Amino acid sequence: MHEWSLATALVQAAEEEARRRGASRVLSVAVTAGFRTGVVPELLERAFEAAREGTLLAGATLEVEVVPLRLRCRTCGAEEEEMTFLLVCPRCGGPEVEVQSGDGLVLRSLELEIPEG
Amino acid sequence: MCETCGCGLPDAAKREAREGADREHDHDHGHPHGDRGIRREEVLLYRNLMESNERTARANREHLLEHRVLAVNLMSGPGAGKTALLEALVQAAGGSLRIGAIEGDLATDRDAVRLRALGIPVHAVTTGSTCHLDAAMVHEALHALPLGELDLLFVENVGNLVCPGLYDLGCHLNGVLLSVTEGDDKVAKYPVAFRNAQFFCITKTDLLPHVAFDAERPRREARLLKGDLRLFACSAREPETVAPLLEYFREARRVLL
Repeated sequence: MHEWSLATALVQAAEEEARRRGASRVLSVAVTAGFRTGVVPELLERAFEAAREGTLLAGATLEVEVVPLRLRCRTCGAEEEEMTFLLVCPRCGGPEVEVQSGDGLVLRSLELEIPEG
Repeated sequence: MCETCGCGLPDAAKREAREGADREHDHDHGHPHGDRGIRREEVLLYRNLMESNERTARANREHLLEHRVLAVNLMSGPGAGKTALLEALVQAAGGSLRIGAIEGDLATDRDAVRLRALGIPVHAVTTGSTCHLDAAMVHEALHALPLGELDLLFVENVGNLVCPGLYDLGCHLNGVLLSVTEGDDKVAKYPVAFRNAQFFCITKTDLLPHVAFDAERPRREARLLKGDLRLFACSAREPETVAPLLEYFREARRVLL
C-alpha cells in the first residue's frame, strides 16, 4: 500500500530537518493528511513504526490529523469545508470549484532532542 | 544537471547513492553527552511530504514539453484493457502520430512485448512490490526513450485503482479506465484514482449486451468527483470507437504543447 512509501518519505524529510538543527533524536512527529488523499492514519502509523527503525526517529511517536477539504465555488462564491472526495460545490452543486486547502500531506512539526554546547 | 538528459535534476540513481552515503557518514556526529545538556525543542515545519515527487513530476512535464511530447497516464484496475486500448490507438493513428509507451507492472514485461510488436518504442518498468508508478520511475524511463522522435507518450500505470492517483507522474493528462465487466458501482468506491484525472473512459463496450452495466452511473459518479472530466466509451475491438479519444489527444497536443 502507498502508506509505506509515504512513511519512508516522512522519515527521510524528518531526519533531514532534525540533522539540519543538530538534533540527536526525534521524539515526536505531527502530520496533517487531507481527507482527499485517502490516507488512513492507522496504516500510516503502522508503516511509520517499521520505517523509523535505525533512524533518528527510532522510538518517536506519530500523530496523524486528517483535515477536511476546503473548497471555494467559482459559481456561487460559497466556501465550504467537507470531508469529501467530491469536487463539487456542496451548496449549488456546480463543478467549478477551487481547492484552497486540505488536499496534501504535510509534516507539521517535530519535537527534537538537541544536545547543547 | 542530469548528465543524460539535461533536465535540471541530478541523476536519480546517483542522488540516492549520495543520500545513502550521507546517512551512514552522519551516523555518529560525536556529540558528547553526559556533561553537556540536552534540550527539547518543538519546530514547526509545514513541510509538504509529496514535494519530492511533485518536483520530479514538474521536471518531467517540462522535459516533455521541451521535446513537444504529450504524455498521458493511464490508470485502471487489472484487466480493464489498458494495453488493448493502446494497441487500438496505435493502429487507429496509423503512423500519423509518433507514439511511444512506458509500461509499469510489478513483474514481467508482457505488456511491453505486446506493444513493441506494433513497432513503437517502449520502456518497461518493473516495480517489484510497489503498487504504483511515481515520478522518479518515469524520470528514469524518459532517459531510455527517443523523445525527439515521439509526439505522444502513454504511461501505462500498474493495474490498481487504489494507489496510483496519489502520484503525479509528470504527464499532461491522467485518465482512468473502467471496463463494463467490472461493475458500474466502482467509481464511488475508488475516488482517489480520479484525484488528478482529466478523462474517464469506459472500455470493452462490445460486451455490453452480456453484462448488467448501467453506463450512466459511473459517468455521473465520476463527474461528481471531478466536474470537468472528459468522458469516453470504446471497445478496443471496434477501431472506430477509439477515434474520439485519439482526437482528444490531438486536441490536447495543440492546446498544451
